[in-house]
Order: sequence, then C-alpha cells, then structure tokens
Amino acid sequence: MGTALNLVLILLLLTTAVLAVTARDLLAAVIIFSVYSLIMALMWQRLQAPDLALTEAAVGAGVTTVLFVIAIFKTRRREEE
Amino acid sequence: MKRVAALLFIAALAVLLLYVVSRMPPMGDPETPTATHVIPRYLEKAEEETHTVNVITGVILNYRGYDTMGEVTVIFCALAAVLAVLGRERRGVIHGFVDRSEVPSSTIVRTMVRFIVPFIILFSVYTILHGETSPGGGFQGGAIIGGSMIIFTTIFGLYESSRRIPLKVRAPLEGAAVMGFFLVGTLGLVGGGNFLTYAWPRVAQDLHPSLVVWLTVLVEVGIGLGGAMVLTSILFAMIREEEEIATVS
Repeated sequence: MGTALNLVLILLLLTTAVLAVTARDLLAAVIIFSVYSLIMALMWQRLQAPDLALTEAAVGAGVTTVLFVIAIFKTRRREEE
Repeated sequence: MKRVAALLFIAALAVLLLYVVSRMPPMGDPETPTATHVIPRYLEKAEEETHTVNVITGVILNYRGYDTMGEVTVIFCALAAVLAVLGRERRGVIHGFVDRSEVPSSTIVRTMVRFIVPFIILFSVYTILHGETSPGGGFQGGAIIGGSMIIFTTIFGLYESSRRIPLKVRAPLEGAAVMGFFLVGTLGLVGGGNFLTYAWPRVAQDLHPSLVVWLTVLVEVGIGLGGAMVLTSILFAMIREEEEIATVS
C-alpha cells in the first residue's frame, strides 16, 4: 500500500515536472508547477517531515504561484517562438 | 548538434545522479554518519536543553539559531531587492489594482473569501504559537498569513487590502523577524548566557524552562509577523499600478 502510493506520487511528480517545463502557455505552466509543489508537499509528509510539508504547501503551492501569475498578468502569457 | 550535446550532457548527469542515489545508505539506517553524530544528541537532549517538544523547532531556533537568523536576513534582503526594482507605493496614496480580467469576481466568491480569510489567519496564529509543540512555526504561519492576504487582494483589489494593512503598519513590522532574533539574542547576553542560546544562568532553575519557551515563542512570533509583512509588501509592490485611484488624507 505504502509503496504503491509512493510510486504513484513519484510518477505524478515526474509528469508534472516535465509538463511544467514543456508547456508553451505560461499560465498553464505555473498552475502545473503549483500541482508539482502540492505533490511535493505530500511527499515531504510521506518522508515524515511535516514542517517542510507545511512550508512547501504554503510557499510553493500558494505564494509563489500567485506571484508568478501576477508576473504573467503584467507581461505576456504566451512564450515567444 | 547542440541538441545532441545537451542530451548527452543530461544523460551523463542522470547516470551520475542515479549512481549516487544507488550508493546512498537506506533511509532510517542507524549506521550512517548523519545518524551517528549530531542526531542522537538532538533526539536525546533537545527537549531537556531547548525545552521545545518539537525537536525540529529546537534545532532550527536554538542549536542552529545563527543559520535561521541568516535565512531570515536573506528573506528581508529579497524584499529590499524587490522594492529597489519595483518601488513602493507612496505614503498616503493608495494605488489601485485595475481589474483587467473579463470576469469580475462574483458575489459568491466575495462572500466566501470574506467568510474564510479570518479562519485562515486564525490557523496561521495557531501554527506560529504552537511551533514548539507541533509541526509548524513562525515561517510557515507567516507564509499562511501572506497567502490569506493574497486571496483577499486578488478578490477585493489593492485598494481594499492596503487600506487594512497600510504602509505605516507594514514598514516597521517588515524587520520584525531580524529584530526579534537580535533582541532575544541580546537578551541572552544581558542574562549572562551566549548570543541566541536562550539560556540565562542567573535565573532560578525552576523559572528557567518557562523563560526559554517564552523567548522561543517571541522569536517565532517575530519570524511570523516579519515573514507575513515581507510577503504582503512584495505582493503589493508587484500588483500596484502606476496610476493613482484615490488619495487618502
């Protein structure tokens, strides 16, 4: 059970990491990156580091995502060819 | 050609990293160097020496207080860099957040946010104050306050949220984390101990544990307030527009 959950989390983590890098739409990339942070927070919890999990969820998935979104909002949404 | 070289480099790096991972000791192995030197001391003596039930808080704020003080200073410097580039809103003038999105936030969203933000702030206060007994602490709580301010600002705009936390409140509190560390560290010196040890040799033994806990909580509150204000100020600096919407007297 535990190993299966770890495997699923790692696969999701790898998928979101690759998707966040390859996405052309920067807004989509930021949202995928926040999902990556959320999975990372779950993994910190699985590794018995609840302090880090809290930090990752609040800073990684919350604050940085919004700061990135504001930065996109102020510039351009599409990556240039 | 460049692509092939890049791919080869990444493949070589991946092989190297995977090799290193395969040679790492298994998680929880009692024979590794990290588990045989400082960790036994932390686990056995932390509660007795730092009077914090949560060993992680004891390590972060007490054994490695200097490291954390440096980290807090780095966060403060990040704010200084952001403000140097983007500039701060002027005192007394409230800059508006011009909502350029096609869909204005609906009544349901506004009501929900108004309802839920106080509870988020309550949770962050719990996280800050219970840092020495349960997971969490000043930085996490501060980040949660910053997150609640972000939610509020994105729904109600900069005008409403900078009216609630004006510049004259934020500016002195931004340094609260650094100031808290220096204040408590210097208090330790005054009490006859070392900088940031929270130890006061001249205080009676039965008073000592509660004093250490109070000083630790003081540092946690400083980190929480400072972190929250730094995040809020970065958000306001990023979101503000050049045109002025209103001037308050």
